[in-house]
Amino acid sequence: MMTADWKVGIDMGGTFTDVVAVNGRDGSLRTAKVPSRPSDPVASVDAALAAVGLSWAEVCDLVHGTTMATNAIVQGRLVPVALVATEGFGDTIEIGRQNRRELYRLEVPPKLPSLVPAEHRIEAQERIDSEGRVRVPLAEAEVERVARDVGGLDVEAAAVVLQHSFVNAEHELRLAEKLQAVVRYLAVSHQLSPEPREYERSNSTILNAALMPETAAYVDRLERRAGARTNLHLFHSAGGMAAAEAVRGRPLALALSGPAAGVAAAARVAEELGLDAVIAFDMGGTTTDTCVVLHGKAQISGGQRLAGRAIRQLMVAVESIGAGGGSIARIDGKAIRVGPDSAGAEPGPACYGLGGTAPTVTDANVVLGYLSADRLLGRAVRLDAAKAAAAVGSIAAAFGTSPQEAAFGIHRIANASMARALRRVTIEQGVDARDCVLLAFGGAGPMHAISLAREFGIAKVLVPRLSSAFSALGCLTADLSYAEQHAIHLSSARWDEARLSSVSRGLYERLSRPLLASGLSEDRLDRRYVALVRYAGQSDTVEVPVDDPIDAARLGADFKLRHDRLYGFATDEEWELEALRLTLAAPRGERIDDRPGAVPGQAPLRIGTASCWFDTERSVDTPRYDRDSLGVAVEVAGPAIIEDEWSTVVIDPASSARTDEHGHLFIDVGNLS
Amino acid sequence: MSARVDPFTVEVIRHAITAIAEEMSLVLMRSARSPLLREAGDLSSALTDAQGGLIAQGRDIPAHLGIMGATVVEFLKRVSPHRLAPGDVWFLNLPEVGGNHLPDVKAIRPIYAEGELQAFAVSLAHWADIGGALPGSYVPDARDAWQEGLRIPPLRLFAASGPDREKLDLVTANVRGAREREGDILAQMAATRSAEARVLELYRRYGAHTMQAAIADLHDQSEAEMRAALRSLPPGTYRGEDWLDDDAAGGGPVAVRVRIEIDGDRAVFDFSATDDAVPGPLNATPFTAAASVFYAVKAIAGPDIQPNAGCARPLRIITRPGSLLQPPADRPVVGGNHETSQRIVDAIFKALEPVVPDRLTAGGSTTSGLLLFSGRDPRNGQWTTLYEVHGGGEGARHDRDGMSAVRPHMSNVMNTPAEVIEANYPIIVERQALRRGSGGAGRHRGGDGQVRVYRIDAPELWLTTMVERCVVPPYGLQGGESGAPFRITLERASGESVRLSGKTHLRLGMGDRVVMETSGGGGYGTPAG
Repeated sequence: MMTADWKVGIDMGGTFTDVVAVNGRDGSLRTAKVPSRPSDPVASVDAALAAVGLSWAEVCDLVHGTTMATNAIVQGRLVPVALVATEGFGDTIEIGRQNRRELYRLEVPPKLPSLVPAEHRIEAQERIDSEGRVRVPLAEAEVERVARDVGGLDVEAAAVVLQHSFVNAEHELRLAEKLQAVVRYLAVSHQLSPEPREYERSNSTILNAALMPETAAYVDRLERRAGARTNLHLFHSAGGMAAAEAVRGRPLALALSGPAAGVAAAARVAEELGLDAVIAFDMGGTTTDTCVVLHGKAQISGGQRLAGRAIRQLMVAVESIGAGGGSIARIDGKAIRVGPDSAGAEPGPACYGLGGTAPTVTDANVVLGYLSADRLLGRAVRLDAAKAAAAVGSIAAAFGTSPQEAAFGIHRIANASMARALRRVTIEQGVDARDCVLLAFGGAGPMHAISLAREFGIAKVLVPRLSSAFSALGCLTADLSYAEQHAIHLSSARWDEARLSSVSRGLYERLSRPLLASGLSEDRLDRRYVALVRYAGQSDTVEVPVDDPIDAARLGADFKLRHDRLYGFATDEEWELEALRLTLAAPRGERIDDRPGAVPGQAPLRIGTASCWFDTERSVDTPRYDRDSLGVAVEVAGPAIIEDEWSTVVIDPASSARTDEHGHLFIDVGNLS
Repeated sequence: MSARVDPFTVEVIRHAITAIAEEMSLVLMRSARSPLLREAGDLSSALTDAQGGLIAQGRDIPAHLGIMGATVVEFLKRVSPHRLAPGDVWFLNLPEVGGNHLPDVKAIRPIYAEGELQAFAVSLAHWADIGGALPGSYVPDARDAWQEGLRIPPLRLFAASGPDREKLDLVTANVRGAREREGDILAQMAATRSAEARVLELYRRYGAHTMQAAIADLHDQSEAEMRAALRSLPPGTYRGEDWLDDDAAGGGPVAVRVRIEIDGDRAVFDFSATDDAVPGPLNATPFTAAASVFYAVKAIAGPDIQPNAGCARPLRIITRPGSLLQPPADRPVVGGNHETSQRIVDAIFKALEPVVPDRLTAGGSTTSGLLLFSGRDPRNGQWTTLYEVHGGGEGARHDRDGMSAVRPHMSNVMNTPAEVIEANYPIIVERQALRRGSGGAGRHRGGDGQVRVYRIDAPELWLTTMVERCVVPPYGLQGGESGAPFRITLERASGESVRLSGKTHLRLGMGDRVVMETSGGGGYGTPAG
């Protein structure tokens, strides 16, 4: 009889699905990477399990991150939705915030098409004001009429978005009750995004409704496939895992599932190692995601854009830029630019030999000797150095430089655009990047991390264990958690203890329900409250961690401290508690054991020598090491290249790396003279 | 001229300085007080070289492009570099000193490296009030510059030793909402301070020599891009004109006229034939005219041109002293910044219609559609001002219909959500809807305008309007029809209903409704049948 001992984390990306599995009994570890099958995600999970030699019967826990929701939104695979709005506000979804996307491109339609066409917008006669008072009652006959109208449309999903419903939800709830009879899938705005701004709340609610059918179908299939023995969880955008059942009604919470898992893994490593400030840096082929992790906690943000649409939804505060190893270098008049065009996965960089001829960042890295031509990336792609040289040579010829100068230039420009993203995330959090550790993962992250860190004045780089399957690892080690934010709009001059505690209690009750239902006891729940505070008249809020019950004087003092740190000034005037956020987590204490079999001081296995360029003057003979052969507490002085099957760590002559007992690589970034 | 720097280093430096300008805007937006800055982002950030030549610009508001560099150039004519010192932050808003209108206040910080003045950081912010005759500082019946508010010549508000308390007090004593304004001042100061720190890091890494050479290269790159854009237009002389509804003083439509001479990779934009300066606040400065020309050329021929001082080299922009676009210094200008600037773009588009119609959009709702409500909120006794702009229909193009309810051309300021308005002002938004059928007919239709109905929930509020396209509607192209003009209706609680002018100021009472119907876009091509 097979025993279900394995815990499995799976990160399903657009191109590859990564899997990390750990045996709960003996701590043994397996990892693999398989091509994703976006048309059949359950088959991707099956394939991932097969790749690590497991059957479902052996899996006790499976947590997975997925780009399913993101892809559905990006590709417009959304089911038609009926929108119920307050009378006079049906067109809000089309008016939006009235700004255009492109300032100078007249050929581009200024706004994306509205999520709901005019014929699917139903208005309900009712009105609640900003203080929650009913100004126009919602008559029972009106509820019936709206339900009839929605029922008359050929849709299976509906979204209800009434003005100020986050202050008084009565009308939304009454409509929802009736509408349940006429549509299969229903999203109600005060439950999904209890905050002001009707357009953003509408977008969030409608997208949620539109994603529900596909998500529910997927969860059903996955549950059937998994059987009763496997606990199934999905990774959500706010950096934790949620029961599959909970995701069914809130699929929008999956929107940033993949990047959030990587960030969660970074947060876990930061917490275990006691690092105060970490920048998670995930550089892949087409996109690079960065996020700040302070004191082991990923930064969360409430308002973001998803595929060009403004939404309100708690997500890890990831800055995503469309640049990566596949970014193409091109000549533009007298200038050289890198990106935004990308060779993507197909045809990919010239060195992949799949038909691409445009010079990419990856090709530059081949010319610089960082990526060796004899390598087989993931047993599939053999790199073609001649094709890389030819592609980069076109740039060199145009500027009359050596190929290495051109390659070095492309590498530096790629770093400069990454540095802009790093700058934005650190400013947003009011952190001085120079105090941070750059935690690099993803296919290309460890190759650029040291030169990027130097560009930025960062002294320490950390390439964690399992860096190329890091998001899958994040799934495996995540806590079960739920997060929600509720608008409150409370002035320090008119503090209202009762209202505050009612909001706080409401948040706790809502979030704890699924956790308590799953058998967890209350004392195991970790409550993290964050107050979003601003001076009266400001728009952006400062996040202040608080304890429940909230002490107004203490909150005010903490707010001023943080405001001063962020903006260089603080005053004693009136401030407002704009919203309260609660993250409720049930720590699982899941951790990957130290590497079994790693021997202290074991000399690394040298697998070859590369001729690498770290400046434009000369190449340096650089030893290449197999990462898996590195023992514990081993120093590797630069220049060196440390490789595993999927990624390459480049250590320049001024820097040096050291391994620890967990298999992480710590790199001291030296000064290049 | 310095020695050349390799193109890769130039590109790395371009990223770095653009990041600095972006960072300034982030710092300002996140910490400022005026709703316009925080909610709508009516601000810009720039770096210039020691002579005021624009190097990089952050958030790119078209109406500010071309202003920021000019501000420093004109500032340096007034304040000799010898009087500047590290740690200074100078504030100014005079329209004639590289300005546009009084509410856009610029903070300028000189930046020194290797013992020399190297650069300026400029932070421009629209203050919600700059004093003057009316709250919000839009005075439709202003007849001279002083009625529009506090005029700030270059004034050092901060030095290395700290703020100059007395001067700060002088400024804040002359504007409404002293505390809020002081918050904006501090935010602008903080933005320039972050820029200084970053610029110094760059100079330490690359050295002044390399930085200067790289900046010279970037200017050359933009010049080349601008020349390429101009070469894509057929050579020749083209004329166009567009009209303001009125002169804001009871007089009829006012013409903006342009003569464009495209000569290979150079161009002249001559506005000499434009009407004389007007008595009301629709005059625009030559700097605003330059900003409008940059916008139009970028939109028509070169969307990717990097904004810096090199762009201006192939262009000659001529305005006539005494005209609407180069008014005497005592004339009011507040509306010229966002109304007359749009007329300039429209005149240029109409001039080029015969040769490049496929690259243009028909006339759109090219006005800020500004409604300014102010008064005491009965809920807390506080004075509040809501500054709300309204988008309308976009003009159609040769290959698609115009978009509805959007901001075309020179501005891109967002609306304020109804829920935010109701929570913060004694105003109920009764309706926000498309104004169906307001787009002009054509082979492709113009976009529709929008309707917003505001009901006053206070015993007394004051309303100011600054709206164009009420009389002269957005034009069609290639036989397309005009869009419906703007319409503002006041429905008094008593039942009386009156049409309001686009430039007015009046008292509203409890239960009064203001019905705002924005203009539709023009159509493109002769309508079928």
